[in-house]
Amino acid sequence: MKRTRFFLKKLAWALFTIAFVVILNFFLFRVLPGDPARQGIRDPRMTKQSIEAVRQRFGLDKPVINCFSSLNPLKTGNCFINPFETQFFIYAANLFQGDFGISFHYNRPVVDILMTRLWNTVLLIGAGQILAIILGVSVGVVAAWKARTSLDYGALSLSLLAWSLPTFWLGMIFLFWGSNNGFPIGGKATPGMSSAPLSEQIVDILQHMVLPTLTYTIIFMGEYMLIMRSSLLDVLSEDFILTAKAKGLNTFQILKDHALKNAMLPLVTVIALNLGFTMAGAIQIETVFSWPGLGQAIYEGVVRRDFPILQGAFLMIAISVIVANLLAELGYSMLDPRVQSD
Amino acid sequence: MPLSSPLETIPIKRTPFQNFWRIFTQNRMGLVGLVALIAIILVAVFASALAPYDPYSSAGINSSDIYQPPSPEHPFGTDDAGKDELSLFVYGARVSLVVGFFASFISLAIGGSIGISAGFFGGRTETVLMRFNDIMLVIPDLALMVVIIALTKPSLWNIILVIGLLGWTFTSRIVRSQTLAVKSKKYVLRARAIGAGNRHIIYNHILPLVLPLLLVNAVLVISAAILNESALSFLGLGDPTLISWGQMLNYAFARGAMSAGAWWALVVPGFGIVWVVLALTLLGQGLEQVFNPRTESHHLVETKREERPVPAVLPGPASSAPQPLLTVTNLSIEYTLSGGSRALAVDHVSFTLQKGEMLGLVGESGCGKTTLMLGLLRLLPAAGKVVSGEVDFDGHDLIALSEEELRDVRWKGIAIIFQGAMNALNPVRTVGDQLVEAIRQHDPGKPTAALEARVSELLDLVGISAERKGDYPHQYSGGMRQRAMIAMALACDPQIVIADEPTTALDVMIQAQILELLSSLREKLGLSIILVTHDLGVVAEMCDSVLVMYGGVMAEYAPVDRVYNAPQHPYTRELLKAFPDLADPGKKLSSIPGYPPRLDDLPAGCRFAPRCSVALERCSRDLPGITDLGEEHIVRCHLVEPQ
Repeated sequence: MKRTRFFLKKLAWALFTIAFVVILNFFLFRVLPGDPARQGIRDPRMTKQSIEAVRQRFGLDKPVINCFSSLNPLKTGNCFINPFETQFFIYAANLFQGDFGISFHYNRPVVDILMTRLWNTVLLIGAGQILAIILGVSVGVVAAWKARTSLDYGALSLSLLAWSLPTFWLGMIFLFWGSNNGFPIGGKATPGMSSAPLSEQIVDILQHMVLPTLTYTIIFMGEYMLIMRSSLLDVLSEDFILTAKAKGLNTFQILKDHALKNAMLPLVTVIALNLGFTMAGAIQIETVFSWPGLGQAIYEGVVRRDFPILQGAFLMIAISVIVANLLAELGYSMLDPRVQSD
Repeated sequence: MPLSSPLETIPIKRTPFQNFWRIFTQNRMGLVGLVALIAIILVAVFASALAPYDPYSSAGINSSDIYQPPSPEHPFGTDDAGKDELSLFVYGARVSLVVGFFASFISLAIGGSIGISAGFFGGRTETVLMRFNDIMLVIPDLALMVVIIALTKPSLWNIILVIGLLGWTFTSRIVRSQTLAVKSKKYVLRARAIGAGNRHIIYNHILPLVLPLLLVNAVLVISAAILNESALSFLGLGDPTLISWGQMLNYAFARGAMSAGAWWALVVPGFGIVWVVLALTLLGQGLEQVFNPRTESHHLVETKREERPVPAVLPGPASSAPQPLLTVTNLSIEYTLSGGSRALAVDHVSFTLQKGEMLGLVGESGCGKTTLMLGLLRLLPAAGKVVSGEVDFDGHDLIALSEEELRDVRWKGIAIIFQGAMNALNPVRTVGDQLVEAIRQHDPGKPTAALEARVSELLDLVGISAERKGDYPHQYSGGMRQRAMIAMALACDPQIVIADEPTTALDVMIQAQILELLSSLREKLGLSIILVTHDLGVVAEMCDSVLVMYGGVMAEYAPVDRVYNAPQHPYTRELLKAFPDLADPGKKLSSIPGYPPRLDDLPAGCRFAPRCSVALERCSRDLPGITDLGEEHIVRCHLVEPQ
């Protein structure tokens, strides 16, 4: 019972946050000077028909929310309006049907372009995040166990250094080194590979993944190591560790059975809170390595002034982070029996 | 009775800043960071004097200067426009630092106000603010910054504003929890009680305690702002009229530095960013050590005996008739203090424990009782070392055993009931699971069914229903947790149980229940028990013998009736005066003025001399030896020494 209620509460909160992001997204792109609808109408790439289509789609002849606000760029409509006849309602209704608009650059539905990119980003972040967690946790455990030895200080210094590196810069250094050492210079696959057998395609993608994943792993590993180390040190000075030692358990048993699970809890919190930064990393890494993901879509959206893509990519990134955050919180509640009884 | 001691140290008066500086300079990381940060700030301030060329002017540059490797003329090489990298680097420091400092100032102001308001006002204000905070936390900040700047104008002030307005989410969370902690402090409650207004309380009481934390946090916020600025510039959203390190990397990336092999165009600006961020990170680590010091010592250390010359070797107690179960002889334990000096926390303590005997170990807090008990099983923290003495149990010297051999003695031979069972039980494992672990550790072959039966039996023994074995410690009441702890101590049928203040933090009814339980278990199972307590009443009722400790020294060791009827040590007498006596309801109670000595400030002579009302002149000069008064009565006091 408690579990279901806890789950529903978290789910409701996530939906509320998504609603906030949807509204924020609408106002950002309608209120700030670079209004995409008007930009779209002025864009030289648009034909007359497509301008009319944009007008229809955005409901540009309708008020934004009502006629009182300055948020009504075309100063049309009257003050006694039907809420279903506002730009915001049209925007929300379109979103709900999976309609994110048409890309100026590709002249194709934004949602089609972004869906494949979403999975590319998930692939890259997933691989990097898993490696960073495994390595960060292992190094952190060893450093805490051997606290105040030269091994600990060495690991600590390297982690602080890794933490201080700008993501895109580390990526550029790897790209520079990799392009002189036989690594692919970017993208997700070698052009023309799509006709090759599946196994060769997979090997090709993996080769393309090596450097971006490595960059990602190094950037996040330092932080995970620092957190794991300090949280394990906290746990190891707790009374129940003394109890375990007094019970006759050896060092390995104490670490495995009593310390790790407890020490993982703060790390899970940080991983959940970090998902936003994770996307910041993805934007930079995907840009450097031309990895066709959501992060690169953001960059391309900016460079090409392709606002429907930018808007859609931002929304999709935000929603993915919220969903991932929800999953992390539910995971936390499984690890810590105290959470649900609050 | 006025009590002034010449041994009391007079603290040296220091201003808070001197104090801060003294601790800060002890930490090498923080100092290195500060120096590195000051160096780069100086570079930025004196950029026009340091730069060999003016990077904002293209005068005298021709196409043959593009991407030239480092040379005497251009020590760091040139960029895609033929400009001198060194000059660009020096000027680039300005933009990065300006953005970093201004943006973080905005973030800290917002985060600080939101955190303090939420923490101080509580209620609906807090709910709304923290909910908003939660939402802002999950929105990916760099993506939002990119969107806003792409839709507006990439100017320096726009970038500062956007980074500043979005960078407060962590600060507000930290400030809020600090405010909550400060708000419930006594003097804040008092200020409120005498009618001080919110404004007054926030400015005079809350802010001063929140500021240090804000300072530590500021370092992180500045480095995040600098990293964000460089990332935005790299993505082409920097102010195109200004030079920043991120902008330099953007040009290098977009204008063919990679294909030209111009590694210096990548390394030089990157070096600047890493320099500043690393300096800030190190500075942050240093500040953290000052404001939130951690000892970084934990329970995983393996203590071995380290023989050290100890002042004077004293005779052990006279051996008593039957071979005792446990004989502790001249056990001394030394602590390494934070300043590196050493202090004897337990000084030549000897006692014996017979089968079925109950020994009371009494003394005020901080007299070395727990240290002595942990020392028996070598469970001391890293700073503690057994430096002399023997612990003879069952024919083995526990101090000389190997770690593996000792692990078999722990819990199976001697088990401990720790004080504060909430913390002594692992919060994320069920009680039953933790009982099973203890049994299995010392009897690995036990079949599961027998294991389960034993767990139920143990819980039944301490009066807990076996159905509750699947519960977690937080689902138990305080008294139940303590009883579960006792059940766990009994799990392996130990010969000795050490009960370390088993009733602290429990209410009086539960205290009585727990003590009664211990007493009955002792009868039923023939246990030997060492009861650590400061309640002399409990000792009189339950124990056979008493060891009184003061300042790490055994003041008096005797059978219980001797201690109550003919106490010899002045400290024992004072302790007895402080407890009510049922047989003498008219007894006048008195407390001992002062406190036990601190480890870093042990008196030279008798440890009790500064508080002793009958101290002689030599008491504050020489530590008394051990005097055996016969009939198993041992006292360490100059007054009972034969002349």
